[in-house]
Amino acid sequence: MNFANMTDYHHFPIYAIMVLFLGAFIIAASGGKPSKNPNNPAGFRAWIALIATAASLCFLIALIRPVMLGGEVIAYWMGSRGISGGYAIGIALEVDALSLFFALLIATAVFVSAVYSIRYMVHDDCVPQYYVLYCLLAGGVLGLVLSGDIFNMFVMVEILTFAAVALTAFRTKVYGALEAAFKYLVVGCMGSTAILTGVIMLYAQYHTLNLAQLASLIPGTMNNATKLAFAFLYIGFSTKAFIVPFHPLAADAHGAAPASISVLISGVLTKSGIYGIMRLTYFLFQTMGLGRMQFMLVFIGSVSMFVCVTMALAQHDFKRLLAYHSISQIGYVLAAYHAMNHTLFKGLLFLAAGAVLHETGTTDLGKLGGLSKKMPHTTVLFLIGAFSISGVPPFNGFASKWMIYQASYQKAVDTGNIGFLLVTVIALVTSTLTLASFVKVSQSVFFGQLPKEYENVKEVPFGMRLAMGILAALCVVTGLFPKSVTALLTEPAAKAAANVGSYITSMGFKTSLPAVEVSFVEAGVWEPINWLLILCIALLAVTIVAVAGKYDRVSETTSENVETKYQLFYGGEENVYSQVGGGDLFWGFKHNWRHYFDFMHKLHSGVVNDYALWAVVALALAIVYMMIAL
Amino acid sequence: MFKNLIAESTAKSPWLFHINSGSCNGCDIELVAVLTPRYDVERLGFKLAGSPRQADIVVVTGPVTKLSLDRVLRTIDQVPDPKCVVTMGSCPQSGNVFKGSYSVCAPLSKYVHVDVDIAGCAPKPEAIIDGLAKATEILKTKRGQM
Amino acid sequence: MTASIFLNGLQYLGYILIFPGFLFCFLCGMLLTGIDRKLVARMQKRVGPPILQPFYDFFKLCGKETIVPAAASRTTFLMAPLVGLAALVVIQLFIPIRGFSAFSGMADIIVILYLLLIPALAAILGAAASGSPYAGVGLSREMVTIIACELPLVLVLLAIAKTVGNAMGTGLCFSLSEIARYQVENGSLITKLSMIPAAVAFAMVIPGETGSHPFDTAEAETEICEGMHAEYSGAPLAVFKLSHAVKVLTMTSLFVALFFGGVGTGITAIDGVIVFALCVVATALFISFVHAVTARLKIEQVFKYYWTVVSGLALISLVLAWYGL
Repeated sequence: MNFANMTDYHHFPIYAIMVLFLGAFIIAASGGKPSKNPNNPAGFRAWIALIATAASLCFLIALIRPVMLGGEVIAYWMGSRGISGGYAIGIALEVDALSLFFALLIATAVFVSAVYSIRYMVHDDCVPQYYVLYCLLAGGVLGLVLSGDIFNMFVMVEILTFAAVALTAFRTKVYGALEAAFKYLVVGCMGSTAILTGVIMLYAQYHTLNLAQLASLIPGTMNNATKLAFAFLYIGFSTKAFIVPFHPLAADAHGAAPASISVLISGVLTKSGIYGIMRLTYFLFQTMGLGRMQFMLVFIGSVSMFVCVTMALAQHDFKRLLAYHSISQIGYVLAAYHAMNHTLFKGLLFLAAGAVLHETGTTDLGKLGGLSKKMPHTTVLFLIGAFSISGVPPFNGFASKWMIYQASYQKAVDTGNIGFLLVTVIALVTSTLTLASFVKVSQSVFFGQLPKEYENVKEVPFGMRLAMGILAALCVVTGLFPKSVTALLTEPAAKAAANVGSYITSMGFKTSLPAVEVSFVEAGVWEPINWLLILCIALLAVTIVAVAGKYDRVSETTSENVETKYQLFYGGEENVYSQVGGGDLFWGFKHNWRHYFDFMHKLHSGVVNDYALWAVVALALAIVYMMIAL
Repeated sequence: MFKNLIAESTAKSPWLFHINSGSCNGCDIELVAVLTPRYDVERLGFKLAGSPRQADIVVVTGPVTKLSLDRVLRTIDQVPDPKCVVTMGSCPQSGNVFKGSYSVCAPLSKYVHVDVDIAGCAPKPEAIIDGLAKATEILKTKRGQM
Repeated sequence: MTASIFLNGLQYLGYILIFPGFLFCFLCGMLLTGIDRKLVARMQKRVGPPILQPFYDFFKLCGKETIVPAAASRTTFLMAPLVGLAALVVIQLFIPIRGFSAFSGMADIIVILYLLLIPALAAILGAAASGSPYAGVGLSREMVTIIACELPLVLVLLAIAKTVGNAMGTGLCFSLSEIARYQVENGSLITKLSMIPAAVAFAMVIPGETGSHPFDTAEAETEICEGMHAEYSGAPLAVFKLSHAVKVLTMTSLFVALFFGGVGTGITAIDGVIVFALCVVATALFISFVHAVTARLKIEQVFKYYWTVVSGLALISLVLAWYGL
């Protein structure tokens, strides 16, 4: 490594983290006095945050070439204190394709959300402080995924947890914000403590905190203490990813936090938890029955998927509904590499929810309706997000879900494990249920009838639409070119996850683990570009015929007092406001599952004591599973 | 060519929307009777539509009570052109035995242009079919004039 | 070189526009619904409409005024039917006719499953955009019907993938053209024991997917004024009616392609006729006959029926396929 050369890309990981913390520091140092500009109360601080996030994203993009394409693993010792006496002394950053994959997602989401924040946060107090916390959160998550040191991971977890708790409670005027933050604080701290306990157990045993060294030492020296440590770490990171049974926290947090923060909680924070779990499972503990571990993850993922999608169907609030979907999709993420697409479309949806909240002041599905006439761009962008998350071709959600179906069914056939078959079926059905709840949202918020009080609603400012547009464009592009995206991002990440050997050796440790070749075989075929081409030709043909047949020569009215002819048919009655939508749109489905829904309703009491108890029970179960199964 | 095709099709596929404006239900039963196997107007392409937006012929039964007048007129207004209004039974034409009542607004033709009147209390199915057939002819002419 | 590209392009354009694309879908779909209406009438001892009745309906609607209600979102309201129709025709392009298929190498059965959502989604969004409360109730029911049909369809398709994969030695086979090829070489899938319950389950899904009796809760004209189409009139309604007809064709020909793919001669023109004849039989059995003898179910009954009886059948098939029968 050439330390004299500051532009050496080996320095980029630390730069990426540093600019964010530096940004946080400068914003905090500049004081909390809001600027006079009503369109940007944070003044120059917003631009600092924007520049910091953009710079961080640029540094990471520059790493794509060596790490993703070149297959290099960047090992970086801070202050050049490296290995001494066979043990890692210094603090290390280690960036392989898996880290970079997550880091890129995070940086993208953080940047887009920063763009969105400028115009979104105009009605709030203390916006300068918001950007301090924002940068801290971003830096914490980025530090977590780039770190090569397990204690550093814990430190970053603490930073991001506290920043996230503060940001959840940021809108203290919102009903339930403080309560949500408190719940999050309690369970989040239990999670952090669990991580710390796990780290301590590992350190006591192996006298090192370096991930690569741990990965080289753990195989062969497996005992009950390691398993216990794994259980603690697993539960700790689960609370960060909000997977079952920690999902109620996410719903509360998302409901209360500003939309720009919801994007980070769902697209960034949960990913950090997922990253932690993956790092642990595939790197540190991969020799302890990877098959069974994988099955457990996939099983929990499926449970998350189904439980949260049904919970989402029962929600009355736009953002809470999105929150449950967020975790439902995390189920897919645990099952496979759905992470990137999830960040993109979930970010987009939360931003759309934020746009609605920004203009109307509510996210209650029962109160909204017909906004498509007032906010056409937001509607289109929302629909792209909704189609993506529901796995409608040709958007990106379909591309990755389709791979999941193929892979899980293939796995079921190869291993003869019926559990994986169940996972395939659950994944397929969940996808339709997801579609159902987004049909509910589009009917309740964007279509249907416009309530009187929202007659003067306007389209959101350009800055917010731009942020949504970026994500929507990424959704479409990654959906249309799934093979290129796989080759560029997900495949290197998947290979890196399987290839522990090079992770260990590039840090300077020895390992007996062989290099693994991973290859991807697909049983099915899907060519989105060609399909889109055919669809476009077909659509063009239909449209030409239709226009030639004067399809667009319609009779409509523009007058204020709508003539009876253009009123809706109400069985002959005069038109009054009557919007079908809100929480109970699919009662035909819910009626058949009423016992299940009653049970779930009782279970989700909203009491923090209960959720803390769930955490303890989950930890106990995890320990038991690790001890018995591994 | 298409104009002819559409005009021909209009005559062959008239969809009915049925409004009861306070009828005693006699005519309504008779209207349904012509859809049954014995008379089967579907062989002529007739179909009951569920919404006025999809209808070609509006069939009004009953003496058009004060309460229903507003609704009847609004519904007829919501039918897209070309359309045909058919009154069925004596009530919407004259008020029949309810004539003179404070709550009856018949005849319907005072308020809206009526194309075909089918007389009878209740009209025979043959008469109904005859009236509807006349209505389809009017429909075709109206389509030709569009 | 350029000439051959031009000819190729022309050929594909022909596939999209004529056979098995638009023209074919338009004629055969309409004909199928015409036959369906005639058959239902005959089963009820009526004379029934002429077989060409759907064409008359279509052209009549094209000549009617199109009213856009003041409460509707204009663009979505008018675009939804067109998108739905185009998406349906594209699905038809992927369904093989014995060995022949216009664009088989582009989508597998799971993709087809999801492509089938697009027309339904277009109808739902169009209904939502109309602003009518009747349409709101209708779309809610339509969505529940989709969820109801999804589970049995998924199970059936997984069973087929496993059965064909087993027989071909690859473990799994999702590709439609591979499934068609396998059937051409080894006889129709219906001859396999594990596929019989799957075929029955798929047949039961057809009326649900096409929204015909007794699963037409979403378009119940007597209770919710045609539901999703309550505010549609004129040409957009005509396109919806055409979409419905094409969907009947799509579902029945998918049924034929999946379970009777081995029937035929090898000459595409004759096979097309044979497949269409089989489609007519499938329509007669699973749509017309069921329509004639049943009354409309309530939406929660629809859901229950699909997730218990039909899914049970599909599950039996999957279990049999799993054990290689």
